[in-house]
Order: sequence, then structure tokens, then C-alpha cells
Amino acid sequence: MEGQILPPENLTNEAIAERLTTTARKNLETGSIQKKNLIYLELNGCSGNIISLLNGQNPDFEYTLNSMVHLRYSNSLMAAEGEQAIEQLLTAMDEEYILAVEGAVALKNNGLYNIIGSWKGEPLTGLQAAKMLGEKASHILAVGACATHGGVSAAKPNPTQSVGLQEVLPDKSIIKLPGCPVHPDWFLGTLAHLLLYGEPETDNLNRPLMFYSTLIHDRCPRRPFFDRGIFAEKLSDKTCLFKLGCRGPVTRVDCPTRQWNGHVNWPIGANTPCIGCASFGFPDAMAPFISYDTTRVVKDE
Amino acid sequence: MSKRIVINPLTRISGFMEIDVMVDQNRVVDVKTKGNLFRGFEQMLIGRSPFDAVYFTQRICGICSAAHSMASSLALEDALNIEPMEQGRYLRDIIHCCEFLQNHIRHFYQYTVPDFVKIEQNTLFQSDHNDFRLPKNINDRIAKHYFDSLTFSRLAHEMLAVLGGKAPHNHGVFIGGVTTQATAEKIVHIDSILTKIIRFIDDKMIPDVYDIANFYKDYFHLGGGYGNLLTYGAFNDYKELGTLYVDPLVFTKGTVEAFDENNIQEKIDYAYFKSVNNSNEPSEEVTEPDMDKENAYSWVKAPRYNGLPFEVGPLARLILSGAYENRISAMDRTIARALETKKIAEIMKILIQQVVPDVDVQKKYDLPESAAGRGLIDTTRGGLGHWLKIQDQKISFYQIITPSTWDFSTKDDNGYRGTAEEALMGTYIENPDNPAEIGRILRSFDPCMSCATHVYRPGKQVKTIKVF
Repeated sequence: MEGQILPPENLTNEAIAERLTTTARKNLETGSIQKKNLIYLELNGCSGNIISLLNGQNPDFEYTLNSMVHLRYSNSLMAAEGEQAIEQLLTAMDEEYILAVEGAVALKNNGLYNIIGSWKGEPLTGLQAAKMLGEKASHILAVGACATHGGVSAAKPNPTQSVGLQEVLPDKSIIKLPGCPVHPDWFLGTLAHLLLYGEPETDNLNRPLMFYSTLIHDRCPRRPFFDRGIFAEKLSDKTCLFKLGCRGPVTRVDCPTRQWNGHVNWPIGANTPCIGCASFGFPDAMAPFISYDTTRVVKDE
Repeated sequence: MSKRIVINPLTRISGFMEIDVMVDQNRVVDVKTKGNLFRGFEQMLIGRSPFDAVYFTQRICGICSAAHSMASSLALEDALNIEPMEQGRYLRDIIHCCEFLQNHIRHFYQYTVPDFVKIEQNTLFQSDHNDFRLPKNINDRIAKHYFDSLTFSRLAHEMLAVLGGKAPHNHGVFIGGVTTQATAEKIVHIDSILTKIIRFIDDKMIPDVYDIANFYKDYFHLGGGYGNLLTYGAFNDYKELGTLYVDPLVFTKGTVEAFDENNIQEKIDYAYFKSVNNSNEPSEEVTEPDMDKENAYSWVKAPRYNGLPFEVGPLARLILSGAYENRISAMDRTIARALETKKIAEIMKILIQQVVPDVDVQKKYDLPESAAGRGLIDTTRGGLGHWLKIQDQKISFYQIITPSTWDFSTKDDNGYRGTAEEALMGTYIENPDNPAEIGRILRSFDPCMSCATHVYRPGKQVKTIKVF
């Protein structure tokens, strides 16, 4: 192989993520890296991120479980229930672990608006769990909009006083994966990078550059319509959705090229505007999601 | 000898739930089901654009998000006086079918199977109890199907995304039907996946559920409850196709009657709410948290029909449509979920055949200054209702009653327990220290507490927990 001229390396985000997971698999197989413990915590949210993660393809969940991490705790998936489940959570804390959190931290009433279990007859709040597990974790991933900044759980008037994970762990480095929900590749690609090389390169808001570096608008297949001023007047039109409220111009993430659910489609492909679910201001700063008043002055953009 | 059993968290459900059970000589003599999460969507929706409700309400739930987009679209169509084209309904209902498939496959394998099948290969599946009865060959086959099932849930979401853009939290379902147009390529894409899913249901899911039922026959006698069944109707009332599944019906004490939405009330007698306007009507009721209310023990409200609690979901639909003999138990519920998965796939095949390519069902919609509407529809877990009012072109009122609120409601002033509470009453608990029965019975209802819960009972301001 030495000296052989290879074709240029594919530098798309997809190719990079695929290379990462392939390399991770090889290194695990050869024993040059070890499986790490993963604690997956669900807090104040809809549990949509874990469902999205189960949609992962390469790697898929079975592969992730068998070849990448020891999943030590997951409210949605683990067989144990009640205090035995919480006991497994506490036991997992004795070893090194990566912490992934989906959902916001509800501060109201001392965290009691979100109880995730009980221990010795006392409630364990999401707030307590986030602090306790976050302080000891080797790496922390905030998975989805609620965990990165409060998301829909913190939408006005924020009845639960929800905040993003960083607010209760101000001194910790947290990798942030905004999105509602997170794309399985954003999470699993980041996880693969962590296992192989440590924390990936991030932007000033702690988002991995490999997924969150470009504006949707800049890679939107409907960009030529925007440039020529051809705008949709209703959902289902095939032209630029900017005037219906599309947040592609302010949202940094790779949906246009990665797409969703087996890479088959994405919101703009469904003739609807991007609602900016991977932006830190989602949802309130991204609302209204849809407006037929195409004459209005659109702020933000 | 009395003993209290508290299970918190009840894992392998959507959301957070606590079960508080009293047993006397191993028999359940009292039950409280409690939700452990408050989000406050009905408050959050006030003042938002009515159009945004379709995408916003989906965020109530990550496993049944499309259900909320269906109900809110119907509520908006009602408020805006829009009758969707039949092609719009077909495409929207195809998306809804995809969610049923994703949801039922996931619930059966990922949430239910670990209750009955030992999955050896990972500590994640370490169980608390030891009541595993399947012979090794059957056990290992179903354990393998657990992992296979991930592929088919994922494929169901892939079909959903072909028309809906993405899942969870699709973009395609909207007023008028959907935002996408069918094309030959999309139809074939969906039909090809559906064919694979049907093979999985026939060859694996249905034999697996019957194998489990065969070795856990006692569960045909557990988890019955009141036996009142209700459906708002599912895949019904098409102009040309008529009813493919079930019309809106209720079943009480052996009698089947037409469903009348005016008979729904939502009670708060044992829930931590006070009424702002003394109304139990879903279209009017406004409540405020009241954490010090006496006798209240949960923040899940109590929907009632003609004053009675009702069971909703796959078993209710199968029985009311005449497709299942009238037996109600935890195992019947689980079997019904698998049989319904097959039924939905067949309905989806029929709907796909009706689709005409390239039909655009969208229009530019104008918001009225004021209006009211409601959308009632049977979704994966049962009847879901959204009620909304518009004032000054903004949402001024929003009410949601979810299927899991029906099934996991609190007691009411007539002394009726919630449906799932009643289903647990009298259950013999073999080992109160590691009870297998409670979780199995509750999971047979497929609890979606992300949808059902509004707030956890905070009780007194809690001191720091020393353990941590």
C-alpha cells in the first residue's frame, strides 16, 4: 500500500462520521480502546431523543450497546425498575462514565416537578441527579434542545422554571448537541469521537464542528430559489420557504446533507420551513414556526 | 399483614411514573398511580400562533408525537372550518399508521418483552424478579427478535419521514392533511418497507406474543379492571372507503353504544388542581395547581364518560370493532397490541392503493379573529383530544386529554378509581419484595406518562436528601 496514490479523502460530514465509527469498531475489536460506561439520564422532556437514538443505523443501537459502551442506566430501556434501577445508577457512579442527558433541568419547587426515581423512600429529583452525576462524569453530553438550553420544556412562561444542563453545572465542560430531537448521527458520531480521540472540536457554544458548522441556508437545495427571489406562499410549495418563516438562515446544522430517518427526508424536503430546532433560541426565538403573512418584516434573519 | 410497595421509577415506559400499592396477605388492596413530571403545555400554548400548535404539541411526547400533530390539525380544521380533501386524509392517515407501527413494535419488544424474556447479553437487562418461564430456545429466539425489532421500528419511522420529513416530531401533518405530495417513487418506497414490516409482524411479532401468552396464562386472569371500553374511532368514516377499522363507540356492561363527545368530563377531585371556573367540560375547564389540596394524591386528572372511567387503546378498539372476543386482561391487552399492528399494516396497504400522485392539498390559510375547535382521534394508545380557542388570531385556550390520562387517571368523587388502578386491585403478588405482576399489568396499558402527566405531587418542601 505504501507509496500508492489514493483517491482524495471524502470530507463530507457523513464520511467523517462513518470513518469515526468504523475506526472505533476496529480499535475496540483489537482491544486498543476499552468500552466505556454510559449513563443516559432522561429529565424534563418528551424522551424523544432516546427514541431518535434507537433509530440510529450505522452504528445502530445493538452495535452501540455491544461494541461501543456499557449502557448502565436508561429509564426507557432497562429491565430493572424502582429502587433497584436507582441502585444500578448509583453503582455505575463508582466507575468512570460518560454522562448523556436529555431533557431540561426543572428548578421549580426544588426540582420536585421532575422526579426520576426514589431512593430509600425519598424522591430523587432530576435536579439532584443532574448535579450529582454531572460532577463525577468524565465527559458530559447535553442531548437535544431541552438539555442544551431548556428547549420546549422552558418555553414561555416556563411553568417548571426549566434550564439547560449547563446552568446547574456551571464549571463543567459540556458538549452540546441541540436539536429537537437530536439526530442519531450527531449523538453517535460524537460518542465515537469521544471514545477514539476524546472531545471533538467544538464552536464557541460547545457544539461539535463536524455536525454544527454550517448554516442550513448555505447548503439548502432550495437556495437557488432564494437567490432568485422565488418564494413559497403556502406549505407544500417547492420553492424557497424563507417568507413562511424558515429559520434555515440562522440555524447551524447539517440537515440538508444528512437528512433524517435513513437519510430519506427532512423538513424542507417535506415542503415546510425549518423551525430552527437546532438553534439555541428554540422554540420561543424561532416562533412563529409558520406564518402566511409573507409581507411581514422578519427579525433575526 | 399489610405491606406498602412503591415502584419509582416504573421503567420501560415513556416518561416518569410512580406506583404506590398496599398489599394485604399478598393481595392488592389499594393503588395509587402517580405521574412524576410536570411540563405545562396548556399554559405554554397561550398566546402562540394557532398554526404552531401542530409542531409545538408534538413535543409533548417523543414516542407518539405524530398523534399530537393529528389531533391539533383536526382541532384547527374544526376551528377554521376546513374540510380536508380525501387525498389529504389518506396521506395523513398513512403517516399516522407509520406511527402506530413504530410505537407498537417498540412497546412490545423494547418495553414489554424484558418483563417475560431473559436477555442475557447485557447488564442493561438485569431483572429484579426471577419469574422467567420460557424454554431456552423460545426465550433466546425472542431475545434475538428484541434487537431485530429495532430495525423495524426504525423502518416504520423511515416510512413516516418519506411523507413527514422526519420523526420523531414530523413536519408533514398539517391542516388539510399533509404538506407533501405523493409520487410514484415515494409510494413505492413506503410500500417496499411496509412489505418488510408485515413479514416481521407475521413471522416474528405475532408468534412471539402467543408464545409468551402460552407460558404466562395466569395473565389472562390478571389486570382486568372495570371492563368499560371507549374509542373515538380510528381510520373510519372515509367518503369512499367507509370505515376500515372502528367507529366511535363505547362499551359498558355488555352494551355497545355510539360515542358522544358531550359526555366527556375531566374531574380533579383527587388531583392537585383547583378549578378556576368550576367547569369539568374539556372545552372550558381551566385549572390551577393546588398542591395543598386535601385528599389529592396525583396531578393526573380523571377523564370520565357519563361519569365512568374507561379503558382506551388497542384492546378497546379490537373488541369494539368486533375483531377480538370480549376478554379483558393484561395478556389480552398485550396480544391485542400485536394483532392491531397487523391490522394497521393492512389498513395502510389499502390507503396506499387510494393515493393519487402529485395532488397538492395545501392552501394559504387565514386565521379568524376568534374561533373554537376540537380534534378527537384514536391514536396508538387510545383516544386523544385537543380543544382550542382562538382570540385575536392567537391561541387563548388549549386543553389536551391524552389516552394515558384515561388509563392512568386518579380516583373521582364517585369513588371510581382510575382504569389502571382498578386493574391492579385484588392482584395476588407472589413476592412483594420483587413484584413482577405490577409492572407487567401496568405496561400492558402502554403508559405514556410524558403525555399524561402534568405535575408531580411535591407535597411539603423537601429537605436535602442525605444519601446524595
